[in-house]
Amino acid sequence: MAELHIIGQIVGASGFPQSSLFCKWGIHTGGAWRLLSGLKEGQTQVDLPQTGDTAYWSHPIDLHYTTKGLQGWPKLHLQVWHQDSFGRCQLYGYGYCHVPSSPGHHHVRCVTWRPLGSWQEQIAQTFVGGGPQLRSPDLVYSGADRYRLHTVAMGTVELELGIIMRHFDRYGVES
Amino acid sequence: MAINNPSVFLLMINGQIEGANFPEYDDLYCKYCFVYGHDWAPTSGLEEGISQITSKGRDSPQRMIWNFPLEITFKSTNPLGWPQIVVSVYGPDTFGNDVVRGYGATHIPFTPGQHTRTIPMFVPESTSRLQKFTSWLLGRRPEFTDPKVVAQGEGREVTRVRSQGFVSLSFHIVTKDMKRLGYDTTPSETSHTLSHTAAAGIGPGDQPYST
Repeated sequence: MAELHIIGQIVGASGFPQSSLFCKWGIHTGGAWRLLSGLKEGQTQVDLPQTGDTAYWSHPIDLHYTTKGLQGWPKLHLQVWHQDSFGRCQLYGYGYCHVPSSPGHHHVRCVTWRPLGSWQEQIAQTFVGGGPQLRSPDLVYSGADRYRLHTVAMGTVELELGIIMRHFDRYGVES
Repeated sequence: MAINNPSVFLLMINGQIEGANFPEYDDLYCKYCFVYGHDWAPTSGLEEGISQITSKGRDSPQRMIWNFPLEITFKSTNPLGWPQIVVSVYGPDTFGNDVVRGYGATHIPFTPGQHTRTIPMFVPESTSRLQKFTSWLLGRRPEFTDPKVVAQGEGREVTRVRSQGFVSLSFHIVTKDMKRLGYDTTPSETSHTLSHTAAAGIGPGDQPYST
């Protein structure tokens, strides 16, 4: 059976309206993959940068998967949240990216989006905060029912992911 | 027998903590330590260290240079728990107390060759303004009881931090026997050319190192 190691960090995020941010992340795989060790989801610290607008998390990711097939290659999905000085949390963006499929070190930039409500909801959001959220977060990494969604772009999340593959060439897989 | 069927691979790290970029602070020193999983063990070199105190120069006022050497070799059976280096930076505050100026961590690169990394440094934030004022007055800033927390993912969701600088590191990495154990760390075109040169030039008794 082939093995995949994902070793890296969620470095930080930039381009969001405010910068006291944290990120909830998770990795989703297909049925042929099995997680041998490591945490496949988590939540980063809240960072308020002193200079600049990039929030830095440096959150480590260290996962060991084994697989019987190529389908359902791991996908990393993220939710970026903003925490204000009163401790209230507001959703700032959803995003996902595929875990790179070639061995080596990769710098990945994951773009994010936020659902847009009606114009009344947008006005309420500028005064009170909050805003619409997805009922089922699976929509972030699946394309199935997206046509009903109206969204707006938010910032980008930077990740550094290193991939080590083992025994993939025994099965004839080139990457 | 061990030469032809290795069960462990080695990772040799030669590098340095080059310096730091903290716009607001001066006279800093750093401490480093390595954090690794259960399958890893250091075979030679120093796992921890403290650097000298550096100040901003007059000619290049933004750069603070440590040029602090890192030399360590690890052995392991499994890439899980790949070593990370945790750097903590300390400096004096206005009253002369030694306070923490930043924590940062990064994984050691795993492809052989030369790499540079610039890591962001952050400090834990006080929870209230009153606590922030008393910690500034008394010189007891919030800090992590064990800096190794920065290298882990659990328990981070309750920490609030402020990022306030960067540290740059450079590494030269050599690995031994990772390919023999079946691990690919570079895309396959490079590994094909490497295996051809290895078959042509090296006899059965030698142990090829990849650099």
